[in-house]
Amino acid sequence: MEKNLFRFIWRYSARQQIFIIFVTLLTYPVIYFLLELPKLIVNDAVQGNNFPRTILGLDFDQIPYLVLLCLTFLTLVVVSNGLKFFLNVYKGRLGERMLRRLRFELFQRVLRFRLPHFRKVSSGEIIPMITSEVEDVGGYIGEAFALPAYQGGMLLVQLGFIFMQDPLLGLAAISSYPIQGYVIPMLQKKVVLLSRARVRNIRVVADKVGESITGVAEIHSNDAAAWHSADIADRLYENFRIRYEIFNRKFFIKFLNNFMNQLTPFFFYLIGGYLVIEGNLSIGALLAVIAAYKDLAGPWKELLSFYQMTADVSVKYQTVVENFDPPDIHDVSRLTSDDKVELSGDLTFEHVSFSGGAAGQEVLDVSLTIPAGTSCAMVGPDGSGRSEVLQLAAGLVSASSGKICIGTHDLDKLTDSTLGREITYVGGAVHIWTGTIRDNLYYGLRHRPLSSPEREGEDLKAYKRQIAEAKETRNPIYDLAAEWNDLEAAGADSTEALDNKALELLEAVHIDKDIYRLGLQSRFDPSLNDAFAEKILNVRKKVAGRIAEEPVISGLVELWHPDRFNPSASLAENVFFAVPATPEITMDQVPDLPEVKAFLSETGFDGKLKQIGLRIAETMLELFSNVSGDSGLLGTYSFINQDELPEFERIVRIAKSDQQKSGPNDADCAKLMGLAFKLVPARHRLGVMTDELKAEVIEVRKRFLESVVKTSDRFVAFDPDVYLPPLTIEDNLLFGRARVDRRDARRRIDDVIRTIVEETGLRKPIIFAGFHYHVGVSGSRLSAGQRRKIALVRGLLKNAKITILDDIATSTSAEDKELRAGLRQILQDKTFLFGTSSNEIATEFDQRFILDQGRVSDKE
Amino acid sequence: MALETEVEALRKVSLFRGIDETKLRLLAFISDRTEYREGERLCSQGEEGDSAFIILSGSANVMVHTDEGEKKVAEVAENSIVGEISILCDVPRTATLVAANDMDVLTVSKDDFLKLLKEFPDISLEVMRTLATRLERTTRDLADARQSVS
Repeated sequence: MEKNLFRFIWRYSARQQIFIIFVTLLTYPVIYFLLELPKLIVNDAVQGNNFPRTILGLDFDQIPYLVLLCLTFLTLVVVSNGLKFFLNVYKGRLGERMLRRLRFELFQRVLRFRLPHFRKVSSGEIIPMITSEVEDVGGYIGEAFALPAYQGGMLLVQLGFIFMQDPLLGLAAISSYPIQGYVIPMLQKKVVLLSRARVRNIRVVADKVGESITGVAEIHSNDAAAWHSADIADRLYENFRIRYEIFNRKFFIKFLNNFMNQLTPFFFYLIGGYLVIEGNLSIGALLAVIAAYKDLAGPWKELLSFYQMTADVSVKYQTVVENFDPPDIHDVSRLTSDDKVELSGDLTFEHVSFSGGAAGQEVLDVSLTIPAGTSCAMVGPDGSGRSEVLQLAAGLVSASSGKICIGTHDLDKLTDSTLGREITYVGGAVHIWTGTIRDNLYYGLRHRPLSSPEREGEDLKAYKRQIAEAKETRNPIYDLAAEWNDLEAAGADSTEALDNKALELLEAVHIDKDIYRLGLQSRFDPSLNDAFAEKILNVRKKVAGRIAEEPVISGLVELWHPDRFNPSASLAENVFFAVPATPEITMDQVPDLPEVKAFLSETGFDGKLKQIGLRIAETMLELFSNVSGDSGLLGTYSFINQDELPEFERIVRIAKSDQQKSGPNDADCAKLMGLAFKLVPARHRLGVMTDELKAEVIEVRKRFLESVVKTSDRFVAFDPDVYLPPLTIEDNLLFGRARVDRRDARRRIDDVIRTIVEETGLRKPIIFAGFHYHVGVSGSRLSAGQRRKIALVRGLLKNAKITILDDIATSTSAEDKELRAGLRQILQDKTFLFGTSSNEIATEFDQRFILDQGRVSDKE
Repeated sequence: MALETEVEALRKVSLFRGIDETKLRLLAFISDRTEYREGERLCSQGEEGDSAFIILSGSANVMVHTDEGEKKVAEVAENSIVGEISILCDVPRTATLVAANDMDVLTVSKDDFLKLLKEFPDISLEVMRTLATRLERTTRDLADARQSVS
């Protein structure tokens, strides 16, 4: 990687830079004529005589001549500004392209780092390098050559003019340049050093913030917040100190420049004045020189600030780039090569040594052979070198001496395209990617884009442009929208077959139940799969049928019925009898939607709701007014928490005295209505829902359906014959509420649903629906065990020749034992390496190597 | 049925006799109102007790394990509280409760009951009084039983 910013710029954009300089030079004559024309217009066209003038063989009288000159002026204005516009866009684009190239190169280099290198660098440091630190480089690149060329040229022209007037004055004009040229770089050097220190310090801050976020549970559980606060505060002070130093120096440089620039006129007046008095220089020439000097200050200032920017940007570039050039970085072809060789044959270690850089992470002179198609256990506690041996076998790390071969192929000479496809490695610390379960399961099949989608018209144009840009910046041209899942590698001939295969493996590792539950909790879009929605509706009918038939069950649920009040649901659900079309809007937010507000006030039901809310508030106040806040009773059972109690006390007081002019205001009313909407009559038993009120709710519900739900696409009405996409699959299956006043109703009803789901063969599609479950950031919405199992299935789906598991399913429980047997069954004629610390488990495998302190101490 | 009717029922429970109405309303509000059909279990012998039951209507059979299977030893009727022992001292349920007919029950969870006792000491006093009465009776029964044995 280019260590020097200018070399980097020149290497990748020499042609464009020359073009920029060329266009810049093109603007010189335009600007020159633009400045000359006004003079010509005033002196020649307005004040001149001896018309007509002959231009290109045409005769012009005074007025046409004036018009011609003015039109020329206008044209030049357009041309000069057009050129400027073009140049700016061109420079901007060049800068962005170079930035994209740089950033991608940096990212690719991160992927090329050897694994042990990541012990030395942290993501908290690398992220700001790739994102913010190089940002300034982009803006600079377009100017890198053009600005010094342009401003330098201007400076030379002006200087030449002064020297032509009088060499002595010329010398006076540049008299301060040597001093500036000497002092300023000296000062700037210090600023550069400080800038480097600042960048490094900010990186440490970023790293520490990142670490605090990762370890936030530790901070709280150890009450270490103060220590971390002090640590960060210390770093921030360091940052302040450095910046303050930088300011001081920067502004001193500015002061010095300004001073020097003002000093020169002092010499002009002194020397020029003397020369004029002595009669060696005309007064006119002196004035011209002073005017020229004024024009000199502009370019000089530009050049100086350019110099400062150059120093700043190149230091940033260097401080970034030096971190991406470790000596042992993988060759780029390791990532980009698409050649896959078949890894068949025995796995052999020949006198392999490896050092992870710390005690307990080394492997010393290990030689072993694992015949192809057998299973083998690597036994050893943590720190015995077991994990390192397995990582060496997977080609994840390279031996420092010795050779690891599979068949005739040396692992160190193979690329990711072979290692990553022919070998499956699942270690103890698995990573689950942010995305759906499906994304994670098929992650091991996404090596290269396989078939691009058909593109037409605008789409195709946009895509072509994207590809052209990628080529321009040496970014990859892989199509993200293509089909990436390599079905063939997984041994499947269609997406359905792949799904089925994944399901088989999920069952083998016993995680199908979890995915089924996730599937029940997930939402799905019926427009994608009509048949599935139809099936769910069928099951819903069956559930309803079973509930109607069996009195034991029917007492456990309240199904949604358009003409019946559902006491186990909240008043909001009962009134609206619909769900917001987007799951992001919760039921609590519905009353605040404008159309709902309008509806409520139109029908006058808001008054009723306020009364209900008021009665609830009154009851709450009465019940809880004598209860102390810290008893916990209020928070658990009341609609109102301790902090809101005084607020509602006030609202109730105002409402009670409403014979007076002012009742509760809008905000208070909204609060009261909010209380009312939360009421679940069967649970709260406050006695406010009288039969008349229930009938009224049903009435309002019908009007709401007519006037809001049917006219707006923001709601989906409860309808026994329609699949409701905003509800989970489970809620769609039951289409009602388990009664809150029956013990274990939820669980018992779930059992009924599960049996019907299994009877109707819906379990499988529900599991597939669970594939769309979003696992959260790095799989945070899954348990550690689930993450490991999903990673295991991901590895198995690859269908690799060699499977290496480390610290997976290593307990002696019956479940894990069964799982291991299942794995051996699945990997029957493949090479299977299994890392464990238990000798007992190891006896289940064909062959065993026992590792101790990096050496093979025993084998069977 | 609303809180008012529950309070009416609670007032008839001997344990809550001396307690004023607002507190009974609070007790009713924080408990869960549950229905049981004939034959459903309220709790099973041996499991951990985390709630007490106040029977509003209906009755339940008290069953214990014996060598010949479960045997009915008593019946608890309307307006009585059962299961309060196990929420006061951590002992497993000493008997199984099975609904003898359709029942309406208020279930008070252990945590809430303890919070309520802490909050209103006069309830604790009442509970103590009731328990003391029972203890006294049990002691007398025991003495009688000993006498008849010897």
